[in-house]
Amino acid sequence: MWQSLVTLLGPDLARLVVGLVAIMALVQVNALFLVWLERKVAGHIQLRLGPMEVGPHGILQTIVDGIKLLSKELITPRHVDWKLFVLAPIVVFIPVFSCFVVIPFSESLQIRDLNVGVLLIFAFSTFNVLAILMGGWAANNKYSLLGAIRSVAQSVAYEIPLLLVVLNVILWANSMQMSAIVEAQSRVWNAFWMPVAAVIYLICATAETNRAPFDIPEAESELVAGFHTEYSGMRFALFFLAEYSNMLIVAAVATTLFFGGWKPFPFLDFLPIPGVVWFFGKTYALIFGVIWVRWTFPRLRFDQLMNFSWKIMIPAALIHLVVYAGIIKLIR
Amino acid sequence: MNMLKEIVVGGWSLVSGMLVTIRRIYRPVVTTQYPRKRLEMSPSYRGHIELKRFEETATHNCVACGTCMRFCPTNVIKVQGEKENAHGAKRATLYFIDFSHCSLCGLCVANCPTQTLKFSNEYELAHLCRWEGVVDLLKRLE
Repeated sequence: MWQSLVTLLGPDLARLVVGLVAIMALVQVNALFLVWLERKVAGHIQLRLGPMEVGPHGILQTIVDGIKLLSKELITPRHVDWKLFVLAPIVVFIPVFSCFVVIPFSESLQIRDLNVGVLLIFAFSTFNVLAILMGGWAANNKYSLLGAIRSVAQSVAYEIPLLLVVLNVILWANSMQMSAIVEAQSRVWNAFWMPVAAVIYLICATAETNRAPFDIPEAESELVAGFHTEYSGMRFALFFLAEYSNMLIVAAVATTLFFGGWKPFPFLDFLPIPGVVWFFGKTYALIFGVIWVRWTFPRLRFDQLMNFSWKIMIPAALIHLVVYAGIIKLIR
Repeated sequence: MNMLKEIVVGGWSLVSGMLVTIRRIYRPVVTTQYPRKRLEMSPSYRGHIELKRFEETATHNCVACGTCMRFCPTNVIKVQGEKENAHGAKRATLYFIDFSHCSLCGLCVANCPTQTLKFSNEYELAHLCRWEGVVDLLKRLE
């Protein structure tokens, strides 16, 4: 099977095709699991049970919801810019596919180990903003447009500190290759020796994925549903799916950049646990943290959000970069 | 310096907030999975009224005086009775309430001269049709 695929497509393309199919499966299963997990965690934090009816402890609830969304009508309102309106849920999926290409799930389980891996991830993740702007603009609805405007402002503000702290990691590993960054952490995780950077990264990643407490682009109490107000059925589901996939991406990138990737805990490396288990364990632990934050804190006001980024995060990230660049220069 | 202090204090308040929520995850839940499991209602819960059963007579003690009927602000109650013999007291032969109008004010319960009325523990009071809100209290007592 693999041989015939290789002779048909060539080794590179065959690897890409198989990898993308695997990513598609991973994205679906991840979204099904995460939506269930989110509802369960939210339930237990609020002292209730969450979904319990479909399957044991409601584990099949998301599948049933997905089937319902599939069967719903795709409503296109009359005055929308329909080309952009149809395109936006598709564009929102570009980063999902392209970012997973370079993420090292284990030592060998990586589709392409590009030497510009980190750059590729952060370049493609901006498509997310583009899709939200397209969807919000095309819907011809004030709530959608406001949501889109907020999303763009927020993403611009939080991408700067995000990239600044990632620069620390790149300087330390002296490479943008994901596998090299994981190798550089084989003794000490980056999270231990640059904890401030890890915290800034996690805060910015939460803001980038539009998760609470930074979910003002879709603040339901003021903007109906924000940029996806006019979307229904499977188009809405695509936005939803992309949101949860983006959570997986930022958590996977955080795992790779700060938490040692697929490497085991330094004091537990005698255990015969494969790297991919370590990787997904760390990733889902981070995602649990993000869910936990969502159900703890109230939403920030827009000016608070902007002040937090421009007055605290960006100066902190800049100072951190200067200090660590100096330290790294001294060590080498 | 002031800003640093603000960051530290604010950061600690965020951490303590997260500790509050993580402790909640392990607490027992307070909700009941309703159609599967049902709650015992508290004795002071007010459902619609019902007739009390007295132990000595093993039945209600409604004399069909009509006090409840006249006190009711929304005319929920319809009660009729007849005498068993010429010198005896009246006994209720018909006691209907239309719960869809009832505001649970309790004037009927408070003013019943024989204290044969009380609030039931009925809480499944949603109906598909307005006539399902009509309850025959005598039938309910049997």
